Amino acid sequence: MPINTSLYTVEAVVIVDNKGKRLFAKYYKAPHEDAVEDIVINKKKQLQFEKDLFGKTFKQGNNEIILFDNHAVVYNEFPDSILYVIGSLGENEVLLYNVLQGLSGALEIVLKNEVDKRSIQEFYDLVVLAIDETIDDGIVLETDSTAIAARVTNAPAEDVSNIKIDLSERGFLNAFKFAKKNLSERLQQGF
Amino acid sequence: MSTSTYKRFEDPESGSLPDKMTVYQECLQAFNASPIKAKKCRALLSRLLRLLYNGETFQKTEATNLFFSVSKLFHNADPSLRQLGYLAIKELCSISDDVLMITASIMKDIQGAEPVFKPDAIRTLSRVLDGSTIHAAERAMRNCIVDSNQAVCSAALVSTYHMLPVARDVVRRWANEAQEAISASKTLVRSPYTTHDNFGASARLPQSTYFHQYHALGLLYHLKKQDRMAMLKLIQQLTSRQSLQSSFAVLQLVRYVASMLQEDTSGQLAQQFWPLFNSWLNNKSEMVELDAAKVVLAPSSRFNQEQQLKAITTLQELLSVPRTVTRFSAVRLLSRVALADPEMVRACNSDLESLVNDPCRSISTYAITTLLKTGNAQSVDRLVKTIAGFMGDISDEFKVVVVEAVRTLTLKFPEKHSSLLVFLGDALRDEGGYNFKNSVIEAIFDIVKFVPDAREAALELFCEFIEDCEYTELAVRVLHLLGEYGPKAKKPSLYVRHIYNRVVLENSIVRSSAVIALSKFALVGDKQLTASIRILLQRCLQDVDDEVRDRTALSLRLVEGAELKSSTRARALLQPETRFSLAALEQQLCRYVRSKDKTSFSQAFDIKVVPRHTEEEILATEYKAKIAVEDDMASMSTQAKMETITSKNEAHILSTEGGRSSSKPVAASDLAARSNLLQQQYSQELSGIDEFQDYGLLLHSSGVVELTERETEFIVTAVKHVFKEHIVIQYNVENTLKDIQVEDVTVMTQLDTDDYKEETAVPAAMLKPDSSVCVYVSFSRPADHRMVLATMTNSLAYVSKDVDESTGEPASDDEGFPDEYQIEDLAITPGDFVTPCFTGSFTSSFDGLNNEEVAVYNLGRSEENPLAKVVKRLSQSMSMTPLEGSDMVDSSASHTLKLFGKSINGDKVAALVKLVSSSKGVMMKTQVRSSDSELAQMLANQWE
Repeated sequence: MPINTSLYTVEAVVIVDNKGKRLFAKYYKAPHEDAVEDIVINKKKQLQFEKDLFGKTFKQGNNEIILFDNHAVVYNEFPDSILYVIGSLGENEVLLYNVLQGLSGALEIVLKNEVDKRSIQEFYDLVVLAIDETIDDGIVLETDSTAIAARVTNAPAEDVSNIKIDLSERGFLNAFKFAKKNLSERLQQGF
Repeated sequence: MSTSTYKRFEDPESGSLPDKMTVYQECLQAFNASPIKAKKCRALLSRLLRLLYNGETFQKTEATNLFFSVSKLFHNADPSLRQLGYLAIKELCSISDDVLMITASIMKDIQGAEPVFKPDAIRTLSRVLDGSTIHAAERAMRNCIVDSNQAVCSAALVSTYHMLPVARDVVRRWANEAQEAISASKTLVRSPYTTHDNFGASARLPQSTYFHQYHALGLLYHLKKQDRMAMLKLIQQLTSRQSLQSSFAVLQLVRYVASMLQEDTSGQLAQQFWPLFNSWLNNKSEMVELDAAKVVLAPSSRFNQEQQLKAITTLQELLSVPRTVTRFSAVRLLSRVALADPEMVRACNSDLESLVNDPCRSISTYAITTLLKTGNAQSVDRLVKTIAGFMGDISDEFKVVVVEAVRTLTLKFPEKHSSLLVFLGDALRDEGGYNFKNSVIEAIFDIVKFVPDAREAALELFCEFIEDCEYTELAVRVLHLLGEYGPKAKKPSLYVRHIYNRVVLENSIVRSSAVIALSKFALVGDKQLTASIRILLQRCLQDVDDEVRDRTALSLRLVEGAELKSSTRARALLQPETRFSLAALEQQLCRYVRSKDKTSFSQAFDIKVVPRHTEEEILATEYKAKIAVEDDMASMSTQAKMETITSKNEAHILSTEGGRSSSKPVAASDLAARSNLLQQQYSQELSGIDEFQDYGLLLHSSGVVELTERETEFIVTAVKHVFKEHIVIQYNVENTLKDIQVEDVTVMTQLDTDDYKEETAVPAAMLKPDSSVCVYVSFSRPADHRMVLATMTNSLAYVSKDVDESTGEPASDDEGFPDEYQIEDLAITPGDFVTPCFTGSFTSSFDGLNNEEVAVYNLGRSEENPLAKVVKRLSQSMSMTPLEGSDMVDSSASHTLKLFGKSINGDKVAALVKLVSSSKGVMMKTQVRSSDSELAQMLANQWE
C-alpha cells in the first residue's frame, strides 16, 4: 500500500451551480513538477468529470462523500451550488472533509452567510482568495475557517485618487463657472 | 460587439462569463493607467480570474502582456488590490514569458512589513523562481520561516516545499530554520483590511492554529528521509513532549512512521513503535485515528493480532460517530480488512448490521458487503435472512450489489446452496429492472455451472422464470443454458414442455433460440423423447419467421443425422465437446493475415493449430477468474482499479466482483480469454522470436520467479515456458543503475541433470540505464516427454560501459569490460507441468484417480508460516486450482486444501492437503492422486 508522505493532498477544488455548470475549478499540480494525471491539463476531461460527478451527487441525499472515478470526493451542497474537494482514492477522507469544512466556513464568513450562485459570482474575488488561502497548489494551508477568512481582504471601498475630477453635470457646470470667473477677471485686469 | 451584448457581460446576475477579449482590453487599459484606480482594478482582476478559473486560457503573448500589466499595479499601495494581484500573477506565471522580471518587486514586499500580502508575495515568489535563481531569495526566505506571524512562516515553508524538486541542495541549508519552526510559537495576525462583519463576537480568531508545524514537518521529512537515524531522532523528539499541536502534523507523522515500517526489513520497528500507535489510536482527531488504524491493519503489517484488534476497536467506535465521512472511512477500511481477514472484523458485526440502514447509501453498501464477507458457513443462513428482510426497501442499483455479494458466497460455500438459492429465487420473482434481473441470472448461472448438487433446483427456477420473463435478452440466455444443462439432468423431459411453451408464446428471437435448445434434447438417447422432439420441431417449420424456420430445418436435419449414428459429425455440431480458445484463434488469424511472407497465403489457414478447450478447462479458468478477483483485492493496486470501476458505477461500490461488473454479459470463453491474457502475451512474444518459431504451441508458462533481491543493481526475474519438446527460460533483466550501460547480456546456465540439453540462447544486445530487456535460453526436453525436475545455476554475463551523464551515451572509444553477476538458482518444479483445472465435484474426481502418493512435512514454526500464506504458496507452486472455497482459511489451527489440475500431457491430478498448526509447528500432509503415478509422486514430494 503506497503511503502518501508528501504534503500534496488535495487534487482539485471545484464549485458548480445547480445545473452542473462550472463556477470555479482548479486542478492542482506541484508548481515545479509535471502533472501526474491527465485530468489536470485536459479541460475536456475535467468538464466531463464534473458533469458526471454532478450527476452522481446533486440532490442525492445528504451523503457528503463519494468515491468517484478513482478519486475520493467530499462535497458540500449550498442552496444552488456545490463545493467539491477532491483527493486521491487512498487519501484520508476525514482530512479532505476537514479542508472542506474549513473552506465552507470561510466562504460563509466572507460572503456573509449567503453562499449561493449569485453571491459567488458577484464576490468572486473573495471566493478565490478564500480558496487560495486554504490550499496552495494541493498543499493544505489552513483549515480553521476564521483563520482563513482573516486572510481574505475586502475590496477597496472607493477609488481614492489624488486628483478628484467630478465628471457629473454639476461638476462640469462648476468648472465652467470657475473658468468663466477667472477668465473674466483676467480680461478685466487687461492681462 | 453591440452595446446590448456588452451590457449582458457586465451584469453579474446573468451568470454568463465575461467576454475574454473585452476583459483583456480593459485590463490592459486600466492597469496601465495612471493613477491606478484600486476598486476598478480589483473588480477587473476578479473578472480575469473568473475566466482563468473557468478554464479559459490566453495566448502566450497575451498572457505575458497581462502579466506585465498586473505587475504595474504594484505602484498602488492598496493591500487588497495587491493581494488579488498576487493571485493573478500566480495563475499567469505558468503561461507567460519572462516572469523573472517581477522578482525585485516581489522581494520588496517580502522584506517589507505589511502582514496582509506578505504571505501571498512569498507564495508567488516560489512560482517565479527556479533552481538557478533561488539563491537570490535565500536570506529573505530564511527570515520569513522564523517570522512570528504564522501565515508568513507557513507560506515560506510551503514555498520552500514547492521548490524541493528543483533546488534540493539550496533548501537543505534551511533545515535548521524548519526544525525550529516546529517548536516555535507563531501567532495569527488580524488586519483592518480583512475584517468581515460575520466574524461576530463568538467566533474569535484563535491565537494560533499551529498549521506551520504541519508544513515544517513535511519539509523536514523530505530533507531527512534518507537518514534513518535522524528520522528516528526526529520522531522521538516530536512524540516525547507532546510538541505537536496540529492534528495535521500528527497525521503526517503517522504516515512517516508507517513508511519507515514499510521499509524496515528486520520487523523490530513495529513493536518499538507500538506505544505510539496505541496513543494515536486514541487521538482526539478522527483522521489521526483512522490513519493509525490503516497502518496497523495494513496487509503487510507486522503488528500482532492483539494490537490489530485494538485498531479494530477504534474503528468500531468510529462507526457510530455522527460525521458521515468518518463512518464512511471507517467502514471502508473495515471492508478492506475483511477481504484479507474476515475473522478479525467479525467483532464489529453488530455495529455493521446497524449501519445497513444508514442514510448514506455508500456506507450501507459497504456494511452489507463487509457483512457478507465476514460470514462463515455457520452464519450464512442468518445473514441471508437479514438481507432478504430489507431487499424490498432498497433501490435496484443497490440490489445488484447485494446479489453480487451473494453470488461470491455461493462460490465460497457451495454446501449452503439451498438457502442461497431460495434467496436468489425470491429475488428473481421480485419486481426489478433489467440490470437487477441480469445479475440474479448471472448468479444462478454460476450455481448451475459450479455447484452440481444445486443444478436441478436452479434449472427449475429458470423454467419458472421464462414463463413470464419480460426481457428477451435474458430469456434467450436462459434458454441456451437450459439446452446445455437440461439434457444432462435426470429427467430431461421435464424441461421440454417449458421450452416448447416459449415456441408457442414468444417473439421470434426467443422462438429461434428455443428451437435450438429443443434440438439438444433429441440427443439424450431416449427414443421416445427424440421422437416427440422431432414432432415438435416439425411443427416449428410452419413458423412465420424465416430465422425460426431456418434453424428448425437445420436442427431437424442434424437430429436425423445424429440418429443414424453413422454421423458423429452431426452430434459434434449439436453438442461440441471442445471449444476453440477464442483468444488463441484471434491471435493465429492475425498472424496469418499479417504475415509478410506472401507465399504463406498459398496455404489455407490451418484451424488445427488453434488449441481447443474442453468444457472442464473453460470452467476452470472461469472459476479462477471469479475467485481471483477476490484474491487480488487484498493488494492495493487492483483494489484501486476495482474501486475505479465500482465508483464509476456507484451501485457497485465494493462489489466483490468489481472487475466483472462492468461487462456482465460476457461469454465464458471471453472470460477465459481474459485470464489467459498473460499466457497469450507470452506466446505472442515468443512466437515473434525466430529461434522459437517451430517450437509449436506454448503449453504452460510459470509465474514470475524472482532471482535477485528487489533492491540490487540488476533485478532479474524468470518465467519458465514449457513447449512440447522444449523448455524456454525467459529472464527479465532490469538495470537500476543510472550511470552504467551494459551490452551483450546473456545468462550462463548450468543444469544439474543431463536430461535437458541447452539449445539456443537469445542475448540482448543493449541494456540502457533504468530500463529492462528479456534474455532467453532454450533447452530441449527429454525425447519421451517425461517431466524431469532440475535445478540450474545462473549468472548474468555482460560488457559494462560507463555512461556520460550529459549525453546519456557511453563514450565512443569505451570498449567496456566484461563482467559477471551471480543470481539465484532456478528450479524446474512439478508445477511447471501442471495447469489449474476445475471440477464440479472434487471428491468424486479425487476418488476416481488411482495412483496415490502421500507425504508428510513439518514446515516449522507457525508464526513464520501462517496457514493462509502456506495455502497461497501451495496453490501457486503446484499450479492447481483451489476448489470449494478451500483457499479461504477460516481458522488459524487447521485447514484442508483441495487442489485440482491437469498436466500438460493431459493427466488429471488432484491433491488433498491437510494442515495443522500447533506449538510444535505446522504439520502438512499431502495426498496427491493422479492418472500419472510419476506426476503424483513429484507433486507430493515437492516443498521447498
